[in-house]
Amino acid sequence: MAEAVISKEEIMAVFPTVQKTMADALGCDVDDIKLDVSLIEGLDAESIDFLDMVFRLERAFKIKVPRGKIIEDVRGDMSVADFEENGILTEKGLARLREYLSEIDASRFKTPMRVDHIARLYTPETFCKLVIRAQRASQAAG
Amino acid sequence: MVLDRASATKASPTGRFAAFSFVDRITKIEGVTRVSGLYTIPPTVSLFPVSLVAEAIGQLAAWVAMSSVKFTHRPVAALAGDTRMHRMPKPGDMLELIVEIESCDADSIQYKGCALVDGQLVLELQDTLGSMLDIHAFDAPAALAADFEVLKTVGRAPGAFSGVPQPVLHDIPTDRANRLQATLAVPEHAAFFEDHFPSRPVYPATLLLYAQQQLAQRLAEVQARCSVRVCRITNVKVRAFTAPGASLVLSAELATPSEDDAEPILIKVGASADGRTIAGAKMFFAPDSGECA
Repeated sequence: MAEAVISKEEIMAVFPTVQKTMADALGCDVDDIKLDVSLIEGLDAESIDFLDMVFRLERAFKIKVPRGKIIEDVRGDMSVADFEENGILTEKGLARLREYLSEIDASRFKTPMRVDHIARLYTPETFCKLVIRAQRASQAAG
Repeated sequence: MVLDRASATKASPTGRFAAFSFVDRITKIEGVTRVSGLYTIPPTVSLFPVSLVAEAIGQLAAWVAMSSVKFTHRPVAALAGDTRMHRMPKPGDMLELIVEIESCDADSIQYKGCALVDGQLVLELQDTLGSMLDIHAFDAPAALAADFEVLKTVGRAPGAFSGVPQPVLHDIPTDRANRLQATLAVPEHAAFFEDHFPSRPVYPATLLLYAQQQLAQRLAEVQARCSVRVCRITNVKVRAFTAPGASLVLSAELATPSEDDAEPILIKVGASADGRTIAGAKMFFAPDSGECA
């Protein structure tokens, strides 16, 4: 089943909290957290920072985000073999990634794309959408 | 496998499961949600930093985490959101350790915990998260499983910990009154490396935190012009492992507490290796006795 589109209004509703949470986690100014800045290339975030951000977002929004949730969501119902081969996204996997990370400029998707480099694409907007999806899942679960 | 206390001690008197192990016995395990344990600070040690009480709580959580994933992964220090120190433990004290695990899987463990002495709270840990890594890089899974059995049954003989050396800091001149910097030479050899970890020696994050606390305390006392004590440590983030023999640059910088902070003095601390930040935290201090003159 296709996911309901996430509107800009929904994103902007959660962005201030995401922005403050990320600034706290990264030890930077709130103003440095632009919606479309690359967290790794623009703000020097490391894997521990992603763990920290998700941990803080869970508490700030009272949601649960399983580790590896983004990759899991991107893959969706595709088999691992369809999604990646030896750590490199397949053509179908890359197409699915582009669709899922629709907020990312197309020029930033490299070919070949390594699975462990996907996080380099993440922006604050990626995490806003992660929060919104978690909120929707929580509401659906009642 | 069940060992009696004498053979458990005989099997590992100094190195692994002794030199840097701070759980003597696991007294109660309630699924992967709550676990209790005991640790007696050897009366012979001259120094038992309060950060090692946090280490003890973390190790208790680690045992249950490792067991829950059948010793395929082990947690390592990553984040500690809020640690509150209520009183200083002293040699000979028996710590009652309690951990509540909020979530645990092969990626990470989230937990909170506390340590008490004679029913009095010594230290509380909240919002703590450890990254779970492949256990083979650190220790032998079968040996850890056997140690876990010992802890759950007869317990380890207390007193194996022989202490840690006081960190030696060498000041780096700085022209800012609100900042201190120093180098920390991580020892090339130390007994704790045999236990932390047997297959990959890593400088314990709690010892790094203790060294950072020494620097921060000096700055806090200069600012307060009186003796101060650390009350709370927040935003602990460990970014990288520190190997034996590493040279670290520690920094401590005075910051302004927020209106929500009860403690009057906030020092931000950092540690870097080869220019890369490897750890950071916020340390809150208050006058040791009432108010400063």
